[in-house]
Amino acid sequence: MAITFTLNGKAQTVDVSPDMPLLWVLRDTLNMTGTKFGCGMALCGACTVHVNGEATRSCITPISSVSGKKITTIEGLSADGSHPVQKAWIEEDVPQCGYCQSGQIMSAVALLRKKPKPTDADIDDAMSGNICRCGTYQRIRKAIHRAAGSPAQKA
Amino acid sequence: MRTNLPMIVAEELSCDWNKVKVVEADLDAKYGEQLTGGSLSTRTSYADLRKAGAAAREMLVSAAAGEWQVQRTECRAESSAVLHAPTKRTLTYGQLTERASAILPTADPPLKNPADFKLIGKPTRRTDTPQKVNGSAMFGLDVRVPGMLFASVERSPVYGGAPRSFNADEVKSAAPVRAVFELKSAHLTHQFGETSGPGSRNYSCAGVAVVADSTWAAIEARKLLKVEWNEPPAASETTASLREQMHRFASAPGAVIRSDGDFDKAHAAADKRIEAVYEVPFLAHATMEPVNCTAHVRGDSCELWAPTQIPGAARASVASALGIPPENVKVHVTFIGGGFGRRLIQDYAVEAALISRDAGAPVQVVWSREDDIRHDFYRPAACHIMEAGLDSRGRLISWRHRGSSPSIETFYNGTGISPSAAAQVDALDFPALLVPNFRLEFTVAESGMPLGYWRSVDSSGNQFALSSFFDEAAHAAGRDPLEFLLATFGPARKISLRNNETFDVGRRRAVVELAAEKSGWHKGLSRGCGRGIAASFGWGSYVAHVAEITCHAKTGAIRIDRVVCAVDCGTAINPLGVKAQMEGAINFGLAATLKSAITVEGGRIQQSNFHDYEVLRIRDAPQVVEVYIVPSTEPPGGCGEPGVPSVAPAVGNAIFAATGKRVRRLPIRPADLA
Repeated sequence: MAITFTLNGKAQTVDVSPDMPLLWVLRDTLNMTGTKFGCGMALCGACTVHVNGEATRSCITPISSVSGKKITTIEGLSADGSHPVQKAWIEEDVPQCGYCQSGQIMSAVALLRKKPKPTDADIDDAMSGNICRCGTYQRIRKAIHRAAGSPAQKA
Repeated sequence: MRTNLPMIVAEELSCDWNKVKVVEADLDAKYGEQLTGGSLSTRTSYADLRKAGAAAREMLVSAAAGEWQVQRTECRAESSAVLHAPTKRTLTYGQLTERASAILPTADPPLKNPADFKLIGKPTRRTDTPQKVNGSAMFGLDVRVPGMLFASVERSPVYGGAPRSFNADEVKSAAPVRAVFELKSAHLTHQFGETSGPGSRNYSCAGVAVVADSTWAAIEARKLLKVEWNEPPAASETTASLREQMHRFASAPGAVIRSDGDFDKAHAAADKRIEAVYEVPFLAHATMEPVNCTAHVRGDSCELWAPTQIPGAARASVASALGIPPENVKVHVTFIGGGFGRRLIQDYAVEAALISRDAGAPVQVVWSREDDIRHDFYRPAACHIMEAGLDSRGRLISWRHRGSSPSIETFYNGTGISPSAAAQVDALDFPALLVPNFRLEFTVAESGMPLGYWRSVDSSGNQFALSSFFDEAAHAAGRDPLEFLLATFGPARKISLRNNETFDVGRRRAVVELAAEKSGWHKGLSRGCGRGIAASFGWGSYVAHVAEITCHAKTGAIRIDRVVCAVDCGTAINPLGVKAQMEGAINFGLAATLKSAITVEGGRIQQSNFHDYEVLRIRDAPQVVEVYIVPSTEPPGGCGEPGVPSVAPAVGNAIFAATGKRVRRLPIRPADLA
């Protein structure tokens, strides 16, 4: 079944089973591997993308449900890694293994769109669906504050 | 590793760091052993990489001197160029490379005086972050090869089992798949010092492979599989029976791993005696990138794209499973989405190779999270029965530790190894050498579970028992835990060991004193809050943690408010990287302290994904984490593992300070504290 949506600003049509999750369409059909598989049950956030600007777990999102919608993936966040959140991640030296960071960054961007100056509590609420097994959480908090231009605070 | 190892070369080579580009090497014998594990990478590479950088620098200086026809003593290397000061001439390394490549490197090039280091010791950001924030870093799962297929494998629910029958034809007719076939178990060849002797159990799981055009198609088709399995001996195992067995073994004399003085006599004469039982569960690694590997078998050769910590073992295991010469296996190493020891074991490489061979195409085998949690090589569960005695002045005079757990060592090496080799404790475990009458015994517990190395291995659980029980001894003596710890250490001194190693009490004291000072150890805390301290030593490094926690009076819920860490890892190549490892180790240790446990029923793992195998999330992570590095010019120590062991006991000791309740079993259950 042909399904059309906007992917990182460009029209994209795929001909796949309608219940195929967006994650696997991105990774296996379109070879866009920046969005990661972590759990398949929306428990870890590694697969987070934006659907019409909302942080969405692509591993449980059937491709049919995004027909006509705007999808942004990590590859579409900026042309050259210059998005303020990407820059903050580099400045704060956040990633270790780096596998979860596509999802972390997409969740952080969505948070900052809603709350441009988040508190630590806002960050913990918005980011608790994204697991980092290397334990970069303290640097993620700092990087989000840096991207927001707000000083780190104690909860 | 992609930052601090290049920093060592670049330092001696006098490179402009901004011009350094890091490229991952494929497996090649010319690089020597390629391995990241055991917190060994920096420790074992430091001297060699310095020498390599220095030798190359000397070749470039000689090339420039030859070009200019001047004395080489008038030339010096600086910032990726050679300068001739008298004539103010400069040649860049790029201009000199061809001429330099004709010069033989010297065996013993002059090394820099550490006082002149410009790069080593300078906080340096990671070289790979730009690729990790734009989605371009190539992990194992991101490998794409023309014509590749994807495989999902239904493995025996019990380790050691195999399919008796399955409905291949039904699946093939009902779903768009390329192939459905049996995947045989294969012995795994390791290169981490194991011998795989008689009785060793290190093999990949048998199962049924489903091969399709996409990961999702393979996963969906696998749901249609109906497999009958045989029931191997491990099918009788339950967590309750293993706990009972370990407790029984730890209650009786075991193999003596260390005995100093006369425990029985001293303990009988002690003024005060305490005893306690500590337990830790099996743990899965749960790396964020699920286990996977890509292979392309063509005739008697195999190309692998492997997210592995030890590509040489992938080559050896695959060659053995395919029955081909090791030199016919080419290994490309990808980024790994977390290792923690899981990627030292090469079952996924063997699976990918066997499936590629039988499918006749390049294949990526993709484990689901459920596969990952249920078919790991687990950190062993353990039971420790501790006894200690104090004299009338509150000094620790007797200490006995009897441990029991399944043995990683017998799992890989076989049952013929010595009791001390099989033991999941170490003859230098705390507080050995610090208590006059010390006895350490161990008994291997029987278990059918697959076992593996997990960040800090047995210390991850043992230190919880040792440092928590030590805190019990401090309280029994009516003394402040910090003061009791320092008094037990005694004055700074170096004790020579039989193997020519040195037991450095001064370095042990120093991290404890630094962590205590930075934490404000003696400052008061609010009601419901507590502070605990613990320290551990290993992998060439020394670490102490002070945890501050709040315990909710009604629910028993624990909040980790602050963790202060002091580390002495010798020469800190990249202090920013050392801090990152220590921060990560705190969060990794907290997951085991507060969240994670693997349990077994009928040989089957009862957990399956992050809802029932919980790990730390950002809301659970301490608001404040501080890491302090002890300045040192000693050789570099490891950093991956040593930051983990003392996290759990620091938290447990803080809980006791806050509530008067002692945590003796992990993970901490709030209901026990309410």
